[in-house]
Amino acid sequence: MKLLSLPERLGLVSYRNQAKSEIKPHIVVDTDICNTTCPHKCTTYVCPANCYTMDEQGMVHFQVEDCIECGTCMYACDQGAVSWEFPDPEIGRGVTWNFG
Amino acid sequence: MDEKFDCIIVGAGVAGLAAAMTLARNNMKFLLIEKGEFPGSKNVSGGVLWGSDLAKLVPNYWEEDAGWDRFINHRRLTFMDDQSTFSVDFKSSHFNEPPYTGVVVLRSKFDRWLADKVQDEIDKSDYAMDSFIAPNILVEEVLLEDGKAVGIRAGEEEFYSDSVIIAEGVNNLLTRQVGLQDKYVPADHMLTGVKEVIRFDQKVLEDRFQLNGKSGMSNEFVGYATNGVEGGGFLYTNKDTISLGLVLGLKDLREKEQKPYDILNEFKKHPVIADTIKGGEVVEYSAHIVSSGDKRVMPKQLYKAGLVVCGEAANLLMNAGKAIQGMDYAMRSGIIAAEAIVDAKKADDFSESSMKKYQDTLSNSYVMKDINNFQDAVHLLHDPVMTQKMPNLICDFGRNFFSIKNEVTPKSREMLKGAIKRHASYWDLIKIGAKGAKAL
Repeated sequence: MKLLSLPERLGLVSYRNQAKSEIKPHIVVDTDICNTTCPHKCTTYVCPANCYTMDEQGMVHFQVEDCIECGTCMYACDQGAVSWEFPDPEIGRGVTWNFG
Repeated sequence: MDEKFDCIIVGAGVAGLAAAMTLARNNMKFLLIEKGEFPGSKNVSGGVLWGSDLAKLVPNYWEEDAGWDRFINHRRLTFMDDQSTFSVDFKSSHFNEPPYTGVVVLRSKFDRWLADKVQDEIDKSDYAMDSFIAPNILVEEVLLEDGKAVGIRAGEEEFYSDSVIIAEGVNNLLTRQVGLQDKYVPADHMLTGVKEVIRFDQKVLEDRFQLNGKSGMSNEFVGYATNGVEGGGFLYTNKDTISLGLVLGLKDLREKEQKPYDILNEFKKHPVIADTIKGGEVVEYSAHIVSSGDKRVMPKQLYKAGLVVCGEAANLLMNAGKAIQGMDYAMRSGIIAAEAIVDAKKADDFSESSMKKYQDTLSNSYVMKDINNFQDAVHLLHDPVMTQKMPNLICDFGRNFFSIKNEVTPKSREMLKGAIKRHASYWDLIKIGAKGAKAL
């Protein structure tokens, strides 16, 4: 069977409040820490939804829109850069699983 | 709602729903709060609900064609190298009769169904109009007064109760807030699970996996599945889908700089897996953290005045090689938690010493007894010799053993020797044998 790319996989996810243009991020990342003192920048590869990316200059960027609330980054980041909460049901993002 | 509840339960997963069912049956007035759109909407598992406790919560659940997907009568443990699989396979009609010893579930469906059953019990109780299952509410804080839990806060709103059951799942922010878990939990004993739900024509699925009616199979994988990262794979048959996924040691994943979704694709490309899932269509991709069952990182104390913690919030999950157990621990701990609250209500005593009875009962139940007894097995399964060298060795031996070459066949002992030499050392085997003996 055809293997899916990550964007194709995330395309199958039902996100909440998708119609809202402004959402309150449930995860706040202090990317200054990632981009100055972090020795591994591990979130850029361990995150199952690739919410953390690295640009050509090696700088870490974060976007919350694709987050599937798994929690991985909260444990993987040992540098104190990740502040993790659950999304607000009304104004946050996050998932509603169809299968789970 | 300015009235006070007997209990507020945070989280409508398996633990929270089991607790709610028990409270409803004991005529308690409670509020079950769920942050998702409906119970189960944010929950992910492999997953098999092992054991027969479900029959306690929903008697004769097997008479309904709802909620659960299939019962397990076929188990398989597969060792894997890059080309081969070598399986231990057990199937028995002994497991065909209810109450089943394991059912495969998809949480978005199962938890929602179980919540409906809880609502039925609420309707039958004296508090039909005063107990609630409330979705779409995020609990941000457990309210404490002089160290005793007195309710919860959600946004600007506060709800008050004699007791709080925290059943919030593995990402246990409230457990941390009340001081029963460290604020930062390191990656060391956590695993990231990634999973695809793959749909088939139901007839194709049943033929391919030799399923009959509602029977199902569970298959765990060790070795190549995880591409050198500590952990394992799983495949469970649902009604017309399979759940195929991996659990990956997060610390190891970080050290080896690997992406979970890439490893999942490598797993799917394996020739044996590719044949198994041919023609399927992916309908969902999901991920979630799971704890490992290593006692060193579990919250030590699961109670304080007016409060108990159950399910994965208390890191009650274990894979000791036989099965990945978590939902059954959640169910039992939820029941025990609720029973402790019922007793506390009767005695009108929600003090810390009263809540401690929950942990005492849990310690004497199979949940903590198994977790305590199988710690060596947990450590063994996370040993790289076990997760990498052994599967390669076993598959190498299998390849030689099953090759018929029209040549003089060496004795099996010689084949085994060769396999050991190529993939491990006798010293590895002695070490793993000693660990294994301890673990058993």
